[in-house]
Amino acid sequence: MNFFHTHVLSIVLFFPLAGLIPLLFIPGENKNALRWWANIVFLADFLLALLLVFWFGKEPAQEGLFKFVEKHTWIPSIGAQYHLGIDGISFLLIMLTLVLGFLSVLSSWTAIQERVKEYYAMFLLLQVGMLGVFMSLDFFLFYVFWEVMLVPMYFIIGVWGGPRKLYAAIKFFLYTLAGSVLMLLGILTLYFRYHRDTGVYTFNLLDLMQHANSWPLELQFWVFWAFMIGFAIKVPMFPFHTWLPDAHVEAPTAGSVILAGVLLKMGTYGFIRFSLPLLPQASSNPKVVKIMVTLSIIAIIYGALVSLMQRDMKKLIAYSSVSHLGFCTLGIFALNPHGLSGSVIQQINHGISTGALFLIVGLIYERRHTREIAELGGLSNVMPVYATLFMIVMLSSIGLPLLNGFIGEFTILQGAFEVNWRWAAWAVVGIVLGAAYLLWLYQRTMFGPCDNPKNQVLKDLNLREAMTLIPLILWAFWIGLYPKPFFKVLEQPVTAIVERVNPGFGTQQAVSQAGVPSPVSEVTGGRGE
Amino acid sequence: MTPVQALDFIRVLPEIVLASCAILVMVAEPFVSARHTAALAWVSLIGIVAAGAGNAWMRRFSGPAFGGSIAADPFASYFVYLLLLAAALTLLGSVRYLETNQVHHGEFYALLLLGTTGACLMVAATELIMIFIGLEISSISTYILAGFRRADKRSNEACLKYFLLGSFATAFLLYGIAFIYGLTGTTNLVQLSEKLSAPGARPPLLWIALILAFVGLGFKVSTVPFHIWTPDVYQGAPAPVTAFLSVAPKAAAFAVILRVFLGGLASAGALVFWLLWISALLTMCLGNLAALWQTNIKRLLAYSAIAHAGYVLVGMAAAKAAGPEAGEGIASVLFYLAAYALMNVAAFILVAHLAGAGERYQEADDCTGLAYQRPGVAACLTLLLVSLSGFPATAGFFAKFYVFRAAIHAHLIGLTLVAVLNSVVAVYYYLRVVVAMYMREGNPRASASPLPWPLGAALALSLVGIFYLGLFPTPFVRLANLAASPLP
Amino acid sequence: MLRDYLPILVQLIAVSTVGAAILAVSAWVGKRRPSREKLSPYECGSVPVGNARERFSISFYLVGMLFILFDVEAVFLYPWAVVYKSLKWFGFLEMFLYILVLLAGYLYIWKKGALDWTR
Repeated sequence: MNFFHTHVLSIVLFFPLAGLIPLLFIPGENKNALRWWANIVFLADFLLALLLVFWFGKEPAQEGLFKFVEKHTWIPSIGAQYHLGIDGISFLLIMLTLVLGFLSVLSSWTAIQERVKEYYAMFLLLQVGMLGVFMSLDFFLFYVFWEVMLVPMYFIIGVWGGPRKLYAAIKFFLYTLAGSVLMLLGILTLYFRYHRDTGVYTFNLLDLMQHANSWPLELQFWVFWAFMIGFAIKVPMFPFHTWLPDAHVEAPTAGSVILAGVLLKMGTYGFIRFSLPLLPQASSNPKVVKIMVTLSIIAIIYGALVSLMQRDMKKLIAYSSVSHLGFCTLGIFALNPHGLSGSVIQQINHGISTGALFLIVGLIYERRHTREIAELGGLSNVMPVYATLFMIVMLSSIGLPLLNGFIGEFTILQGAFEVNWRWAAWAVVGIVLGAAYLLWLYQRTMFGPCDNPKNQVLKDLNLREAMTLIPLILWAFWIGLYPKPFFKVLEQPVTAIVERVNPGFGTQQAVSQAGVPSPVSEVTGGRGE
Repeated sequence: MTPVQALDFIRVLPEIVLASCAILVMVAEPFVSARHTAALAWVSLIGIVAAGAGNAWMRRFSGPAFGGSIAADPFASYFVYLLLLAAALTLLGSVRYLETNQVHHGEFYALLLLGTTGACLMVAATELIMIFIGLEISSISTYILAGFRRADKRSNEACLKYFLLGSFATAFLLYGIAFIYGLTGTTNLVQLSEKLSAPGARPPLLWIALILAFVGLGFKVSTVPFHIWTPDVYQGAPAPVTAFLSVAPKAAAFAVILRVFLGGLASAGALVFWLLWISALLTMCLGNLAALWQTNIKRLLAYSAIAHAGYVLVGMAAAKAAGPEAGEGIASVLFYLAAYALMNVAAFILVAHLAGAGERYQEADDCTGLAYQRPGVAACLTLLLVSLSGFPATAGFFAKFYVFRAAIHAHLIGLTLVAVLNSVVAVYYYLRVVVAMYMREGNPRASASPLPWPLGAALALSLVGIFYLGLFPTPFVRLANLAASPLP
Repeated sequence: MLRDYLPILVQLIAVSTVGAAILAVSAWVGKRRPSREKLSPYECGSVPVGNARERFSISFYLVGMLFILFDVEAVFLYPWAVVYKSLKWFGFLEMFLYILVLLAGYLYIWKKGALDWTR
C-alpha cells in the first residue's frame, strides 16, 4: 500500500498504457470484447484515481504546494527529470480528464463500428498524454506528453471523423504543433537563463520558479509571447481559433468531448501553471494584460455571435467553446484570486457542460445522421428523457444559478470587476448572448410540433446512453449547489500564484476595500479596453 | 617517418575486416550457385559484426596510425559503429528485396561492404589525401550499387547521374585539397591546424580552398544547392541502396566536415561559420518545401533526407559558433546522425518491401488502406515517419531537441526558429503517407505480403533503437560527448 | 644550379641518338616487302576505313578495361621498387598482400567469364 501511495500518480498515469497491451492481443473481430476491455480499463483508472480524492486533503504538500511528488532522474545529461506532482488545480483537471475519458469511451459503444481496436488504442494513448500534461512538474516531461497527445487525437479525427476529416485533422495538427514548438523555444530560453544564473541545467518547474523574479523583463516578454502562442492556439484564443470548429465538427463524438473537455484546458492550464508563475512581471505587465483581456473579450463576444448564426448543432457548440474559454482566459488575466479560481472552476464546468452537449449532439447524430438544426424539431415529444437531460445540460452551460456554470462565470465576473468594471460589463454581454443561442437552439430542436416523419420514430435514450450524461449532470449540480470543496482545493495554489504575479496582493486588497483605488486596478484598469 | 608497426594495423582493424570480407564474398560469388547467394549475405553480416567487434576491441589501442594519416579515436569509433549499423540494417533489408527483383548477385554484398570500408576510412582519416581515398572507395562502390537493377531505366539514370555529378564533386574536393596543400605545405589535419593557428599565418587564398572543399563535401551530404542529384538518385536507385546512400556516405561526409572544418581549418572562423549557417538555412527550407509537393514516397524521403542534413548543419553551425565549447554542438550532430541512421535506413528498407517487385508501387496513394490489410507494417512505417518528423518519445525528437538546444546555447536564435518552424512544415508531408494508409478508403496496391524475417528483424531493431534513443538517450548522449571531445 | 640539369641533357642526347640510330639502321639494313596490309595505317588491329556505325564486340571493351585496370595497378610496383630496400620484409609482405588482392580480382573476372572471348 505504501508503494501504491507514493507512486499513485505514476500508476494512474500509466494504467491506460498497461491496458493498451492486452487490448492489442484481442482479435479485431471480437468487437464487444474490445469495448468491454477499454471501458473496464478507463473505469478502473478512474476508480484508482478516486483514491486521490480521499487522500488529497490529508496529504501533506511535499514540494511547494505539490503533493504525491515523484522525482527520478531521467536524462541527467540535459537535466530532465521524471517529476510528477499535483496541486489543487491539476487535481481537479485530472479528475475531469478521467471522468470525461471514461464517459467518452462509454459513449462510443455503438457509435464506432469500424476499426474498433485502433480506436480504443488511440483513446488509451490519448489518456496517458492528457494525464501526463497535468501531472508533469518537469518542463521536458511536460513537453513530451503535450506532443504525444497530438498524435492519437490526429488519428481520432482523421480516421473516424466526418467527411472533411483529413482537412480538419491536419489543420488541428499543424496549428497545435506550430504553437508547441514555439513554446519549446521559450522553454529552452528559460532553461539556459537558469543555467546562466546558477550553472545548473534543469527543467524542474519549481527550481525555475525560484529564479523567475530575477529574470529581466525583456526576456520574460519574449518567453511570454512564445508560450502565449502555444497556449493560445490550444485554448483557442481569438485569432488562433480557426482550427477548432473544423476539428470539432469532423471529430467523432467522443473525440469532440475530449477535445472540448480536456484538450482545450491544456492551454488555460499552461497559462496558469507556466506563464503566470514563471513570468510574473511579464504576465502582470499592464500592456500584456490589456492585450490578453481584449482578446478574451473579443473571443467571448465573437464566439457567441458566431454561435448564434450556426445551422449545425456541433458547430454551434464548438463556437460556444470559444466564447466560454474566453471567460477562462479573462479570469486568468484578472490576476486575482477570484478570477483565477473562477477560471479553473469554469474550466471544469466547460468540460462538464460542453462535454455533455457534445454527447447530446452525438446521440442525436447516431440516430438521425444529421446535425442540421433545421432537420430536427419537436424532439421533446418523442424523446422526453433526452429532452430533459439536454435541458439541464443546456441550462448549466448558460450559467443558470443552482448549476455549475453560474458559479464559474459569476466568480470570474467578480474577479474581473475587481480590476475593471468595464471588463465585467463586456463579459456579461457574452453571457446574455450565450443564453440566447443555447435557448434558441433548444427551442428549435426540442419544442414545436414534431412534423418530420424521420424524427417521429426516434427511440429515446437507453440506459447506457443516459449513463454517459447522468454523472456529468450530477457533477454539475454538485458544483452548482455546493462549490465550497472545489474552491477550498483551489485556494492555496491560486493564492500562491496570485502572490507571485501580484506581490502583496492581500494588502492592496485591504486598502482598496477601504475606499482607495488599488494600484493594480489603477495601472491595469485605467487603460482597460 | 616512424616505421609501421603492428599497432597501426590494429587501429584500422574494422576496415581490414570489412575489406577482407568484401574480397572473400566477391571471390566466392562465382563459385556459389545462384540458389545459395543468400549465404553470402550472412557471411557479409558476420563480417560486419566482426568489424564491430574489432572496433570495440580497438578502443584499448586508440591513437594515430600510419604516420598520422589515420586516427583511432572515440570520434572514429562512434562513426564506425554508426556506419556498420547502417550497413547491417541495409543488408538485412536487401536480402529478400534482391530476390524479388531478380538481381540477387553476391557482388551487392561485396560492394556494400566496400562502400562501408570507404566510409569507415573517411571517418578515421586525419589526412586530406586519406580522406579522399576513403571517399573514392565509398563513392565508386555506391555508384555501382545505385545502378544495381541493371534492367531498370531509372536505376541506370540514377547510376549515371550519381557517377557524373559525384566525380565532378570529388574533383572539387581534390582541387580544394590541392589548394590547401599549396598554401600550407601539408595535408595532415593536425599540422594544418597548427600552421593556421600560428600568429600571422593566414594564407590569402585560403577561402578559395575552403569553398572548394565545402562544395565537394556538400555534394556528398546533399546540402542545397548541391542537392540536385539527390531526389533523382534516391528515387531511381534500388530502395535498400538508397537506404545505405542516404546514411553511410552522408554520415561519413559529415564526419569529414567536422574533422576538416571544425578541426583542421578551425582557425578560419567566420567564413566556415557562415558557410555552415547559410547552407543549413537553405538546406532545411528547400528540402522541406520541395518535399511538400512530393507524392512519391522515395522522392519524399529523399527531400526529407536533404532537410535532415539541414538540421545537422544547424548543429554544426552551433558548434562553430560556440568556439571553444564546440563539444556540445558536435555531440548533438553525432547524436542526430545516429538517430537519423536508424530512422532513415529503416524507412527506406520498408519502402523497398512495400514497392513490390520492380519497385512499381512507390506512390503514397499506393499505400491506401494499408493499415487495415497489414496493421503491423503500417504501424511500423507510421512510427518511423513520426520519428522522422520529430515527435517526443522517439529518437527523432530527442535528436532535434539536442541540436536545437546546442543552437540556442550558441545564440543562434534565428536559425533555431527557422529550424523549428521547418520541423512543423515537415510534419505535413510525412503525414501524407500516414493519411493514405489510415484515412483513405480502398485497397492498397503496395505489396501487402508479410514481412520477410530479415527485414522484420531489421525493423524491430530500428524501432527498439528509436524508442530507446527517444526515451533513455543518456548513454548515447554520453557516448556522443565522449566522441566529440577529442576534436581540436 | 644549371649543372643539376646536365644528366637530363645527357639523357636527351642519348635518347635521340639511339632513336635516330635504330631508325637509320633498320632503314639501311632491313628488307622491304610491302603488302596491302602492311601499307595500311596501324589501328590496333581494326579496319581503319569503313562504316563509322560498325559495332564492336562488347568483349573488346571488357578486355580493354580489365587491361587498363591491371596495368594501372602495376604502376604501383615502380614506386614500391624504389623504396623496397628500406622497407625490408614489411614492404615485401605489403606487396604480397597487394598482389593477392589483385589475384583475387583476377580470379573473380576469370570465373565470371570476362576473359572468355567466345561467350
